[in-house]
Amino acid sequence: MFAIFLLAACGEPGGRPPQTLPAGEWLTFEGTWTAAGTRRTLRLGPNDRAAIFDLTGSVLLTGAQRPAVGFRAEAIGFSESRTGMQGRCVWTDERGDMVYSELKGQAVGSGNHIVGTFVGGTGRYAGVTGDFSFQWQYVVDTEDGAVSGRVVDLKGRARFGQATTTSPAGGAGG
Amino acid sequence: MNAAPANFRKLGKQALSVVLVLGIWFSPIPAGLTSEAWHLFAVFAGAIFSVIVNAFPLLTASVLAVGAVVLTGTVDPAKAFAGFANSSVLLVVVAFLVANAVVKSGLGRRISLLVVSAFGRSTLGLAYSIFFTDALIAPAFPSNTARGGVLYPIILSLAQNAGSRPEDAETRRMGGYLMFCGMASLSVSSALWLTATSANPIGVSLAAQSGMKITFGTWLLASSVPALATILLLPLILSRLFPPGVNDTPDAPAVARKELHSMGPLTRDEWIVAVTFGVMVTGWVMADSLRLSLTAVAFAGLGVLLATNVLTLDDINLQGSTLVTFLWLAVLFALSGQLNELGFMGYVGERLTALLGGLAWPVAYVVLLVLYVLMHYMFVSQAAQVLALFGVFLDVAVRAGVPVSLMTFALLFASSYFSTITPQAGSQNVIFVGSNYLTQGELYWLGLLTTGFCLLVFLVLGTPWLLFVAR
Repeated sequence: MFAIFLLAACGEPGGRPPQTLPAGEWLTFEGTWTAAGTRRTLRLGPNDRAAIFDLTGSVLLTGAQRPAVGFRAEAIGFSESRTGMQGRCVWTDERGDMVYSELKGQAVGSGNHIVGTFVGGTGRYAGVTGDFSFQWQYVVDTEDGAVSGRVVDLKGRARFGQATTTSPAGGAGG
Repeated sequence: MNAAPANFRKLGKQALSVVLVLGIWFSPIPAGLTSEAWHLFAVFAGAIFSVIVNAFPLLTASVLAVGAVVLTGTVDPAKAFAGFANSSVLLVVVAFLVANAVVKSGLGRRISLLVVSAFGRSTLGLAYSIFFTDALIAPAFPSNTARGGVLYPIILSLAQNAGSRPEDAETRRMGGYLMFCGMASLSVSSALWLTATSANPIGVSLAAQSGMKITFGTWLLASSVPALATILLLPLILSRLFPPGVNDTPDAPAVARKELHSMGPLTRDEWIVAVTFGVMVTGWVMADSLRLSLTAVAFAGLGVLLATNVLTLDDINLQGSTLVTFLWLAVLFALSGQLNELGFMGYVGERLTALLGGLAWPVAYVVLLVLYVLMHYMFVSQAAQVLALFGVFLDVAVRAGVPVSLMTFALLFASSYFSTITPQAGSQNVIFVGSNYLTQGELYWLGLLTTGFCLLVFLVLGTPWLLFVAR
């Protein structure tokens, strides 16, 4: 059973990302985002709801130019059925290097469209610019305020300010 | 006499568990995971491994794990200890204490004598009565933990009245058999009815995103053949896997009727427990429509039993095993949730499913279902796995060409019957595990075999049935 988890975690489908992140070039990527967290909702009349949300999960990227295999994704924000959502998002890779982004779009909900803009990062993602967009395949609430969502059509592009080198394998443990 | 080799073996297993933790911890972090997620997986996997190989009891493994992940900064203390305030965990604890009142007052004995007088000609008959009773009451209970709270005191009384004691190696098998039947029954009855567990409506709402509209009736039609077949076969299979020791008791019904007669009318305490329990059950059944907290209903019931002195503080003081259960369940509940929050579960789910590209749909269907069931080793809540992985697995299956209705129902049913795979796999199990009739090793072994059997029945009988009725 543990072997299944290890195989899944350590296998590297779709090839490795480029060893260096070229400066000034647009790199395109696609991916999925599986998110779970909490959402606190305030009703503003029969047809309007405001909510603050806090989501974490896993972003996995595909495509030959993807800058990394994947990230842990954390997002917080405010969402309103009438005016849409505003959020902030941090992607963290296996080295602890981070990518920061701002999220804007329709309220967090199934089928709704969100656009993200990269606003910077740390480590090899320092100075990153670019954008991405996605549509929630589903967002489901449970009675205790837990929320779960999934994105399957994440698409975006990123440009790095200076050439940064990535080591061939994942980061060192410990 | 053989204490030294046994101690040496145990020490070896403990060392092996530590080596597993350190081996995973210090291996390169897979690309796409954070160090926190990877380290938590190392500790969680090591803890579960140590319990499975009997290196440590669940409590020891759990408290070591939570200590390690908090002290190393892997998990924030507030999140690591959040399980202690989780309503499902508290419901299990309070259900334990209330069950004590049912037994102490004599009401449990009275109900068990009634059951024995009707079904007690054999231990198998008692087991079937548990399965059938549970299957009948299940659609009215939106929580299988609450249902476990109803069944447990009756099963405990059945075991005790039959002379089965957890501390007696010879007689404990009958109690152990009945306790596991209770656990297994809850898992299958939850698959039979849409409204039998809170995880089912969550799965249905996720399935709706794939265009599947599932109603109470369509669920029942789809589940009827595999679930009823499992209910008919499982007591028999379990009696082979874990022989209860006592099989035929032809005189038991007559003796039970005689004892029932000698008990006379209900005592004051029995009346109080009966009315309190009746109100609690009504509250649990109506919880959704009346917007009641299941746990608050249980607390109110416990409060009444304490206020009326049916239960005393001395009774509560004696419930040391309840504290043990509370500690390990709260810890594992929180750590398993953190594995999900840190993105590990979603990551593994996506990775596993990505490995299946290009398979013929029948192969993809079976492999995905088996993987989905096995992944429950790392979850302490059915609903949590449905939320984390149901959509991922369904999506991949549909892309592989598996008929959407087939995969939807197969995953939904699996989300119930996989709940016996480990003692902590569903909070309803924990009530029965706390009876101490079954050893840790027996629980894991029986859990694996029972889940495997359910998977087999749902695959062999359920698949053609679903292809026939749920197109």
